[in-house]
Amino acid sequence: MECNGCEFRPELYYDDQYQIWARREEDGSLTVGMTDISQTVAGKILHVRVRRPGTLRPVGKPVATIESGKWAGPVPNVFDCEIEEANHDVLDDPNLLNIEPYEAWIARVRPSGSVEEALSCMVTGDIAQAGYCERTRREDIHCERGAR
Amino acid sequence: MADHHYLDNEEKSVIIVMTSGPSTPHRCATPFYIGAILASMEADVSIFFTMEAVKLAQKGIAENLAAMDGGKTIIEFIRDAKAAGVKLYLCKPAMPGYQLSESDIIDEVDEIANASKMADLILACDKSMFF
Repeated sequence: MECNGCEFRPELYYDDQYQIWARREEDGSLTVGMTDISQTVAGKILHVRVRRPGTLRPVGKPVATIESGKWAGPVPNVFDCEIEEANHDVLDDPNLLNIEPYEAWIARVRPSGSVEEALSCMVTGDIAQAGYCERTRREDIHCERGAR
Repeated sequence: MADHHYLDNEEKSVIIVMTSGPSTPHRCATPFYIGAILASMEADVSIFFTMEAVKLAQKGIAENLAAMDGGKTIIEFIRDAKAAGVKLYLCKPAMPGYQLSESDIIDEVDEIANASKMADLILACDKSMFF
């Protein structure tokens, strides 16, 4: 489903600004990435750096930094966790974030508490869709996917 | 995996002293971009507007200024830096020389400060940069 051309996936969890998504994994970890809104706002992404695996990330401490030609900033973090793995494909080819933001995950993290506790500060499903679409309308964001 | 892809820097404090202003627009975006990167790497970043840079904090100036023709406006770079956690200070002693009053200042500025504040930041920080 889409809002203003911005893809939304109802099975994922989102922060309240719809900058990042998180997906539950069977082993109790969470996979984190950028939303279609975020990759569009950033523009063509040139460089990604992820905190080294094993690093603890409290709430508010970024998982990664992103650089594009016109934007630089953090990939925010909304729950206590430890970095387990970075997506080497994305580190080697950051443009994947523009091309397929929901496939090109950035990091896998292990919540310090339970997965439910970590996800309790995020939104999903219909509530997330409403908020996601509202942001695209409020800020007049029309998503564009990068191309090779 | 190339090591440069991983972030494991210690937290540092950085002050960026911004002196460039509307007469040199090509110098006015990069300092905020660098500030945003540093802040997203968890540095405690302050940008201090002094000399001609105080004009960037005047309402209506940064909104209509870009480093490149047709490029992103300076106010957008300033807001990106703020969103990443950068704190913005404005040099109070420089304001009269540019006919600026407090009511002219953009909301993004965190504090209108005396030069001694800049001196404190420089003396206390790990790194200082001047643009």
